[in-house]
Amino acid sequence: MFTYVLKTLWRHRTRTLLTVTGAAVAMFVFCFVGSVQEGLQRLTTGSDADRSLIVFQENRFCPTTSRLPEDYSRKIKEIPGVRDVMPIQVWTNNCRASLDIVVFNGADPQQIKSTRPLTLTAGDWHAFSTQRDAAIVGRNVAQRRGLKTGDQFSIGDISVKVAGVFQSTVPSEENLIYTSLAFLQYTRGLDAAGLVTQHEVLLTDDADPDRVASEIDAKLRAGSVATKTRRKGAFQASTLSDLVDLIGFAHWLGYACVGLVLSLVATTTVMSVQDRIKEYAVLQTIGVRPLRAMRLVLTESTILCLVGGIAGTALAMAALAIGGFAIGAEGATIAFRPSIGLALTGALVSLAVGIAAGLAPAIQAGTVPIVNALRQA
Amino acid sequence: MALVELRGVSKSFRKGDETITPLDDIDLDIDAGDFVSLMGPSGTGKSTLLNLVSGIDRPDSGTITVDGTEVTKLSRSKLADWRAANLGYIFQTHNLIPVLTAYENVELPTLLLNLSSTQRRQRVELALEAVGLSDRADHYPRQLSGGQEQRVGIARAIVAHPKVVVADEPTGSLDTETSEQVQVLLQRLNKELDITLLMVTHDRDAASIASRQLMLDRGKFLERGGDKESGSLGEWEVGVGNAGDSVAIKKFG
Ligand SMILES: Nc1ncnc2c1ncn2[C@@H]1O[C@H](COP(=O)(O)OP(=O)(O)OP(=O)(O)O)[C@@H](O)[C@H]1O
Ligand SMILES: [Mg+2]
Repeated sequence: MFTYVLKTLWRHRTRTLLTVTGAAVAMFVFCFVGSVQEGLQRLTTGSDADRSLIVFQENRFCPTTSRLPEDYSRKIKEIPGVRDVMPIQVWTNNCRASLDIVVFNGADPQQIKSTRPLTLTAGDWHAFSTQRDAAIVGRNVAQRRGLKTGDQFSIGDISVKVAGVFQSTVPSEENLIYTSLAFLQYTRGLDAAGLVTQHEVLLTDDADPDRVASEIDAKLRAGSVATKTRRKGAFQASTLSDLVDLIGFAHWLGYACVGLVLSLVATTTVMSVQDRIKEYAVLQTIGVRPLRAMRLVLTESTILCLVGGIAGTALAMAALAIGGFAIGAEGATIAFRPSIGLALTGALVSLAVGIAAGLAPAIQAGTVPIVNALRQA
Repeated sequence: MALVELRGVSKSFRKGDETITPLDDIDLDIDAGDFVSLMGPSGTGKSTLLNLVSGIDRPDSGTITVDGTEVTKLSRSKLADWRAANLGYIFQTHNLIPVLTAYENVELPTLLLNLSSTQRRQRVELALEAVGLSDRADHYPRQLSGGQEQRVGIARAIVAHPKVVVADEPTGSLDTETSEQVQVLLQRLNKELDITLLMVTHDRDAASIASRQLMLDRGKFLERGGDKESGSLGEWEVGVGNAGDSVAIKKFG
């Protein structure tokens, strides 16, 4: 009986192919949208986002406008609950929302190595920490810009030598390029000797992040520049707030894709069943049970949907893995990564939509008035 | 007890305000091994009768029993099972599944039974052999002639070894020669495989090969009596249907 379904699909291969392609495209978009959502989700949750704080200049948003004294880190370290403070100079090529944002973080190489969740996949730490203009590049940026160890990479007034490529358990890290702090501070145009963009504060295990944040701001109010301290997740979410709204809206696009696949596969299946309603009457005359006739139709719609959906999902995963896509604004970035969860969601959604799309035509095939259908010429 | 028993079967159709009652309180008995042909003017309800016997349609009243099973009582799903095991249906326009080969078409009914793949293959091969189409097993319906298609249809109807095979004008769309081949085939199936056949036809020659010839006219059955062997045109008697209503003894031919 399965042969019958396959041969039926094959007989109308143009229709089958068009439907499968449509389902694939829609599921491709669905997975892409899903990966953006996941990226945002990761950015604002997890231990990196919850257990570290970002100290930024009050009422400033773009990294180029936040200028804090570097020695604030000493004062911050005195506050109970603070384990470590890393002064970071940030440089970005674009403060507005962009798909090809390049973000440099300048910090002490030893501190980067000990506090950031990074592993080098190429190059070595030694070269990075000893050469002044050395940089380690996140995997996503490397993929997007085609960078490898030994390359010279220039953008704006900055020119660095790639000393290594790293991957990270925190995908948004993979959109960054790390240099030493001094290198970025003395970049022409930044003019930031003794100044940094932000301080990243690591907390002790028992510290209450919000309490420490308000203590930091209170303590530094007496200093030359007032600060605003937030959890890293909240900081990134507020930095990206315009994008967050947009991305939140994009999940409707995901639902729309599911709806599209549903209507596409349902239309094809309804047409297919209506074309062959007499065949279903013949099958039932031979002794095929109504439920079995329904199963045949459901199998047909599910195959269409699964083949298209899985192809689209697989393509999306491949594109996400190879492309190293990210969207960012004001120095914060969201990485689009493939994930097993997303792939499973794609497959399950395809399966569910395939079954749903076949329901109406299946009922039609199962309950066909046999005699009337047979009397049709 | 007869293999097929119809008792007080009525069936009417509504078309707008009009009600047509092709079958009104019909009785009929068909014994195992009978080859019954059924003739009659167009629109008298011959196809309707076949559909009722095969359980793809339901009577408004009355009962139909086949081999002890009261098919009028079965649910749609049970009826499907019953048909798979007990009934073969030969259509006028063969109704083969176009995407399946001759072999796969004949195999279809066997997939609904509890058979091993070896048993299935044996049955399909035997059925194809019986209709003389073993060499066409891999052909698709569009690659077969009308007569060959009809023979595949016949093989499909007998492959499950049903108790009853009904045929609705099986030679209706065939030329005289092919039609004769199919008639011979049906007769052999009846004689050699002992299949009980109920065949509707408009063709007097086709009807004459049957062991019992019935005529349905205005809701009454007439049976051809007289000497079947001589082939002479005997008389049609009111016999099987509507006992007690002895309208007319009709001359036929
Ligand atoms: N589904 C239906 N809806 C309405 N009327 C129907 C339906 N099926 C049959 N009829 C009517 O019932 C009558 C008997 O139809 P049936 O097909 O049984 O005739 P028949 O004896 O097989 O005729 P023919 O020799 O032309 O095939 C006809 O008048 C037909 O119009
Ligand atoms: Mg008819």
